[in-house]
Amino acid sequence: MTTDDIFGHMFQEFPENSEWDVVIIGAGPNGLMAAAYLAKAGLKVALVERRYEIGGGLATEEILYPCYSSNPHVIYHMMVDYMPVIKDFNLDGPSLLWIKPNAQTAMVFEDGKSLLLTQMIEDTKDSISKFSFKDAVNFGKVMRSWRRIVDEIVAPATYVPTMTPIEMSMALQKTKVGQEMLELIEQSPLDIINNTFENDRVRALMLYASCMWGLDPRETGIGFFVPLLLDRGMNKCYCYGGSHKFASAMGREIIKAGGLILEHAEVSKIIMQNRRAVGVELAEGRTLRSKVVMSTLDPHTTFLDLVGAQHMDKDFKALIDGWKYDKWSFYTLHVASEEPPRYKCDDPWINDAFMTIFGIESTEQLLAHWDNVVAGKIGANFGGHATCETLHDPHLSDKPSKHISFFQMHAPYEIQGGWEKKAKEMEEAVLAKWQKAAPNMKRENIIMTVHETPVDIETRFPNMRRGGIKHGDYKPIQLGSFRPNQECSSTKTPIEGLYVCGASTYPGGLVLGGPGYLGANKVAEDLGVKKWWKTTPEMDRYIKTYLT
Amino acid sequence: MNKEERYDIVIIGAGHNGTTTAAYLAKCGLSVCLLEERPECGGAQETCEPIAGVRIQPHAIANYGGSAPGWEQLELWKYGFRMDWKAGAIVPFNTDRYMTTTDGLSKVTDKDKMGYAKITGLLTDPPFFKDLMRATFWCPPHPPHVELNENTIPFMQVYKQHQPDMWTRELLEWTMFDLMDEYLDTEPFKVNQAWIALVSGAHGHMEGAAIPALCSVATVMPPAVAMPVAPRGNIHGYYHALLRCAIAHGAVVRTCCPVEEIIIEHDRAVGVRLRDDATWGAKKIWANKAVISAVHIKPTFLEMIGPRHLDSGFLQRIKDLSLKGGSLYMTHYLTRERLRVRPKFQTPGYRYEDYGSFTGPFFPNDSRELYFENVTEVMGHQRNLTIPPERAMYGMVASETYAECHPQSTRPGVYINGPQWMLVPTPEYNVDGMDAMEDKVKWNEYMRKALSQVVENLDSDNIIQILGESPREQEFRNTGMLGGSWYGLRCDRDQWWNERPLPELARYRVPGIDGLYLSHQSSAHPGGLCLMAVGYNLMHILIEDGIAEPGDWWYASPWYIPEEGKISAIPNRPSSVSTR
Repeated sequence: MTTDDIFGHMFQEFPENSEWDVVIIGAGPNGLMAAAYLAKAGLKVALVERRYEIGGGLATEEILYPCYSSNPHVIYHMMVDYMPVIKDFNLDGPSLLWIKPNAQTAMVFEDGKSLLLTQMIEDTKDSISKFSFKDAVNFGKVMRSWRRIVDEIVAPATYVPTMTPIEMSMALQKTKVGQEMLELIEQSPLDIINNTFENDRVRALMLYASCMWGLDPRETGIGFFVPLLLDRGMNKCYCYGGSHKFASAMGREIIKAGGLILEHAEVSKIIMQNRRAVGVELAEGRTLRSKVVMSTLDPHTTFLDLVGAQHMDKDFKALIDGWKYDKWSFYTLHVASEEPPRYKCDDPWINDAFMTIFGIESTEQLLAHWDNVVAGKIGANFGGHATCETLHDPHLSDKPSKHISFFQMHAPYEIQGGWEKKAKEMEEAVLAKWQKAAPNMKRENIIMTVHETPVDIETRFPNMRRGGIKHGDYKPIQLGSFRPNQECSSTKTPIEGLYVCGASTYPGGLVLGGPGYLGANKVAEDLGVKKWWKTTPEMDRYIKTYLT
Repeated sequence: MNKEERYDIVIIGAGHNGTTTAAYLAKCGLSVCLLEERPECGGAQETCEPIAGVRIQPHAIANYGGSAPGWEQLELWKYGFRMDWKAGAIVPFNTDRYMTTTDGLSKVTDKDKMGYAKITGLLTDPPFFKDLMRATFWCPPHPPHVELNENTIPFMQVYKQHQPDMWTRELLEWTMFDLMDEYLDTEPFKVNQAWIALVSGAHGHMEGAAIPALCSVATVMPPAVAMPVAPRGNIHGYYHALLRCAIAHGAVVRTCCPVEEIIIEHDRAVGVRLRDDATWGAKKIWANKAVISAVHIKPTFLEMIGPRHLDSGFLQRIKDLSLKGGSLYMTHYLTRERLRVRPKFQTPGYRYEDYGSFTGPFFPNDSRELYFENVTEVMGHQRNLTIPPERAMYGMVASETYAECHPQSTRPGVYINGPQWMLVPTPEYNVDGMDAMEDKVKWNEYMRKALSQVVENLDSDNIIQILGESPREQEFRNTGMLGGSWYGLRCDRDQWWNERPLPELARYRVPGIDGLYLSHQSSAHPGGLCLMAVGYNLMHILIEDGIAEPGDWWYASPWYIPEEGKISAIPNRPSSVSTR
């Protein structure tokens, strides 16, 4: 007798074997976006996710358990103004609210002086003028040009298939803005900033803001990131209710369009048949067969672990083997407190700022700190950035009027002495430094703290290998048409039926939404499905100017 | 930019019951707006990862709802519902089973097993287990004109039909202990069952609650409902399927949208006004057909409606509804090695590497006197526990026995153990003060000592961290768990079935306010446990009122009695397909 005989018909479960048009591995922002576009195009889409919850980095988590939800990706929403997904799915409406505060990135110094990058340029110039009138004027001037570079080239290009460096140089030659960008590309971030600003503290802020996501300040060939990250760093949006709401909203679009989302569904392999990817097998044994498999994971996981080296030729495998992870990761201290941090400084706007950098007094110190990190150390000269997530959003704390903040600093995956021992030590050092900058951050004000190391990032999100938030380093040979390599940067891979569209694919990570959008476009084209969406006017202008 | 919206149905609260209701009504083709005050939906059906790689369920953990019509009617498999069959709980009657008592193990006898099988409907051919569960949980209370007696109460009808020797008038008066004294054998087994009932809502010692209490235990006891214990993706995985069913049928979900007021015009609920910190401000959302409150009954009437529309006599009765008996202190232990049961409690065939089975220890099951000592402390004295931790009763689920591909800890070298729960005073009534259990270090240690009676290596060498959660914190997180009560309201005879929450509200309607319905564990039969039951039961009423018109997928409860002058919820189809 089976249990069914004894107890009557039991509930049915999701089937052992199922058939789909598209299976997407990983429900981070890119997987969600690709699934939403393709499901709405009428394809039968399944999105499978290892974790118990969709979102990947778009996480709002009860790390300060219980009752306090942290939103560690709060400062990553820099492309809301450009992401096609926002308009295409009406994600700036009653279901999702974006708040863009004017006071964006502050830097406070030991002597109580401060700098503030605001969304409005004149306010930033005012702040810079306290240190150097010349720098304030220069800031206004370069931002005039840099904003055009972002607006006309870099931002729209994020959602348009990549070009080779030679094609890119030829295209950029066509306009004055393009030529200015070409000049920047050749320089290192440090050169660009040193050439533009004279005051060291102004330089320190600009350097921090442009390199904090993982650029090597001395590396040439990546200079276009400086305008992008400075401009976008002045236009960060807060996702009201926490970043996971963005994921939930995209998840609902997938379901509305008839798609499926499976959580706690770790893929154990990509099923290969006649040299084609034809579906996935889950660790629990279920199989989902499909015409197309899209992976948002890092290249090593996708190709070496899930496809298997036996299905690749030697040259391609060498490309995959050569993939390099980020040089640094983050150490984060989450804090629940009675009051938000109140910084001791000369500008009252600082306490409204989205993000506040402290502990950095000079460019020399900042560079020395970063050099330390690359060498596997954190010295007494560290600094980092802090955000109070509840400043714009009371919903993250279940206890009324309490506050949630985090401090984050660059940190090596492998630290001398090991994280097991260092993590707690760092917590004390961070709190001491934080209290120096914001005197009310003393123990009486603090309800709870939890730290997360680069190893914890990898434990939570295994394909952020070595704690790499972008699934792989930003350096010239891993950017543009080389991300993740020339064979795959269009999202299509040499393996028939397999596409890659995560942060390790052009244009990269940081919740740009580029890879997922480009992957959806490519798959729609290859499967001959009509696209229901249109390119944005910015993209049209870019394509008309540079690609035709 | 602050546009008002209009729907057929506005549901306040996207916990288990609000979402079930949304799924049912959206499937009927109605336009539904589901409003949630927190940033994410799910209510107490949640999973979180407070420490990288370590997953816990802060509240609900087991799937009690295996017998629900909802599996078929809402087709949750389509939205990805899967089970983790490895994490089944111990089968009470087909293997050697032991109870833990202070003196060691007490064997569950054949008489215990056969008696249990008989009263839960497993000995007949065919078994009537599922009928018993459905009659108890999945049937709306009868209309007021129906006299309630051994011939009309659904579970009595089931016994009458299938096990007539059990069908006595006394069955309606008994406590679960009385029932067990009649049919079971050993005291520790009875105490264990009574205690599981206690933490499942209807207590083992409540007058006239024998069958509801028994069913609360049986519904989660395998193989009762195909070992329904652990959904894959945990309890929040079950919720995902439910929410996605609602969304797939067109329900609109709005989070960060706390409701300030239920708008009542001319004695009719016509919409809600949001609180000023809602996503798009304090806007109004209008309901053409119904406003359904799937949040706690107390804020529903005391805050969202209030004395503008209600008299103080009624409000007093709402205030007096008892939150007692469902407040649990909860701990999880992160350890370096697996927990090891003391030799005294190792059952024959005990293997350290199997530690746990899904249910960890339930201890101590010595006697009902001890059970009463614990109950008296919490509900009689209403004070912080003074009983020594050696004698404190608790239950535990061990997280180490989920399927290998369904790990609860992916953190290298770290085991997650728990939850362990203990019944504690309701903060609102605690004579030592509302925050008297907020000294977490103290209570975590108390819980550790209690568990250490059975487990030998729960010491400082092994423990990395204890995650404790007090009832106060639980009610902060989930306002539907007022008083930290897992069941919203006490599930005693005076607040159950036709009297839950009050006799005149038991049919999910609110007399005097048209278009307002209740759909929360605290405001509706059968209460909590994530059964998809309140939504199913409410469907009968919404059909009666002409609001819901379900398709062929719908079937009514076989024990349902239509209200006179209303549309019957029994589909107008040949009887062979109308019910299961």
